[in-house]
Amino acid sequence: MPLLEGPPKHHAAVARLVLIQEIRSLLVSPALWIMLIIVSLLVGYSFFQAVDLFSQASRTALSFPELASGMNPLEGIFVPTFGAYYLSQTLLLPFVAIRLIGLDKQSGALKLTLQLPLSSLTLCGLKLTAMWFVWLVSLLPAASVLILWHNLGGHIYPPEMALLLAGHGLYSLTVISIAMFAAAISDSLPTAAMFCLAATLGSWVLDFAASGQNGLLGTLGSLSLTGMLRQFENGLLSSAHVASFLSLALLFFLLTVIWLHPGQRLFLKLGKSFISMILLCFAVSSALLVPTYMDVTENQRHSFNPADSRALHTLSEPLTITIQLDPQDSRLLDLERDVLGKLRRSVPKLNIKYGQTKSTGLFGATESDNYGLIQYEYDGQRDQSYSNSENEILPIIYNLAGLQVVADSMPTYGGHPLIADATGSRWWFYILLPLLFVCAGVYGRKGKW
Amino acid sequence: MKLNKLQKSMNKDGIKRRIPELTVSGINKKFGAYQALADVSFDVIPGEILGLIGPNGSGKSTLLECITGLLPVESGTISRQGRQLSLEKRKQVLWYQPDNILPFAEQQVATTLSFFQRIHGVGKIDLEQLVNKLELAPMLHKPLQSLSKGYRRRVLLALALLSRQPLLMLDEPFDGFDLRQSLSVMGLLRECRAGRTMILSIHQLTEAEKICDRFLLLDQGRVLGIGTLDELRRQSSLTTDATLEEVFLAIT
Repeated sequence: MPLLEGPPKHHAAVARLVLIQEIRSLLVSPALWIMLIIVSLLVGYSFFQAVDLFSQASRTALSFPELASGMNPLEGIFVPTFGAYYLSQTLLLPFVAIRLIGLDKQSGALKLTLQLPLSSLTLCGLKLTAMWFVWLVSLLPAASVLILWHNLGGHIYPPEMALLLAGHGLYSLTVISIAMFAAAISDSLPTAAMFCLAATLGSWVLDFAASGQNGLLGTLGSLSLTGMLRQFENGLLSSAHVASFLSLALLFFLLTVIWLHPGQRLFLKLGKSFISMILLCFAVSSALLVPTYMDVTENQRHSFNPADSRALHTLSEPLTITIQLDPQDSRLLDLERDVLGKLRRSVPKLNIKYGQTKSTGLFGATESDNYGLIQYEYDGQRDQSYSNSENEILPIIYNLAGLQVVADSMPTYGGHPLIADATGSRWWFYILLPLLFVCAGVYGRKGKW
Repeated sequence: MKLNKLQKSMNKDGIKRRIPELTVSGINKKFGAYQALADVSFDVIPGEILGLIGPNGSGKSTLLECITGLLPVESGTISRQGRQLSLEKRKQVLWYQPDNILPFAEQQVATTLSFFQRIHGVGKIDLEQLVNKLELAPMLHKPLQSLSKGYRRRVLLALALLSRQPLLMLDEPFDGFDLRQSLSVMGLLRECRAGRTMILSIHQLTEAEKICDRFLLLDQGRVLGIGTLDELRRQSSLTTDATLEEVFLAIT
């Protein structure tokens, strides 16, 4: 065999071979196929439940057309169905992703692959690409849901669907990066798994604890992985959330690259990690300071009428809104969803203050008559109301600002109620798909991939 | 420039001097307070088989990993022809086959061999010859993890011999082989050495004596001696029929 000296001339070919090898390593992993079997069962169960509930609600909506506008397949079918993916990405995907590096470290394969003519950056990039390919395979049950729903006569609005998929894609990317980093810094697979689960479950707990909270906890909750994913489920594309997801994924990916090679000195790794964190914190802060939004929902439920948005954009003075409601009060939650969120995206200088924070006094009654009051102040003028409806709040603001707004005529969203029965396809999610994954797993166990 | 290099490679009598394939200078490695390698320096001559000899825990594997760049060092340099080798450059010059690894254990042996064959740009016929020499043909379609220790060692040896870097470093290549197999592996290594330099980390002194041209005796991370068996015998004031084992015991 002729000896090789000098730089190898086939980096791209080596990278291609390593990518195939990484994909093969994942395909022979029982963890992957077990995850896919569970995903198939969960997605199927969630889909059948969602179709059942949607059909029940549709029966009423078809009798009362005014209710039909609330029948939205994204919220009624796809978000609950993709909840199964959220569970698997949070609890199962880390175990598959950790193997990418953890198993290579444990088996000694990493000592060989680190000697290949590839940088750590390329090697980690290839591992991430392999995992991305596996994630695409895991979308097979989701693709089945879309086809089934379409065949049942259900409506699919592509922009909403694309955003939902993008959200889950970014969530998975972040979880995979965290898992890779956990494996890079851990000596054993169980330690890496614990590290990664602490991050994903910690994010879940943070989101749960922060629900309905304002202040620092509320902000942290909205920036948790779960909180960020929810924005995508709501159909609101936000540059801040995309940037946060990407930055987190990139940060953990870079940390993996830095910590993967055992030949680097510790202080060098620490220094590079610190610089990466500073740079990415700066990038996230920049994205958070100038957020941009795009409402991709079919009924534009995150936006005011275009005429209202244009008018609110012209407010040059600060608009201050003081709210006397408990953070857990459902009226505040409705106000936040229907009005405040939209105002934040429309009014250039908006200042929201929270006054009263207790809904009940010593004996269960409200502490003061002010509870529930919402006060508005613009350019030295004040008004107040107890309403949390957009139809009453916007005229108050226009009155304070001296604006006359005539709403643009918009097509009425009629909703997409549908009475359907998906139970006939149970065999696909509960038997055929799992069987397919079992066969693929057995084939892989024989080392045939 | 080229003339200067040529002049440097000649001695006063005009005879071409052998430029070291690799020069290891002043390697120091600590694990916490434990000094694993202390000021280790040596040269490797082109085409030779250098045996790293020492008991378990003497620092042989650590030294090989430091040379490869898989472990950071406190101080010291690895150079070739007077030029210090960066981590990236070392990948082009040397290949290190660690001991006790089970790479891609769940995949078929044929898949793993084929992967490294294509990575190193080796022909399929060469791979087939290697498989035949190592008697691996019956095991090709089995996962590596299902093989016996002896076959696993043969697969690892095949992976090492598929590499094409001029310097090959093998950690305990005879571990797990019986006498007959060890002799067969030695024959194979001699056959594959053409134009290639090897560093073999060995703790079985009998095998080392049979295959290595020179020896580097290592104990507790320190170099106790380096040279041919005759040179080491002289260094330890032993007779010309003293074995490597006796030399090692005398020096340590």
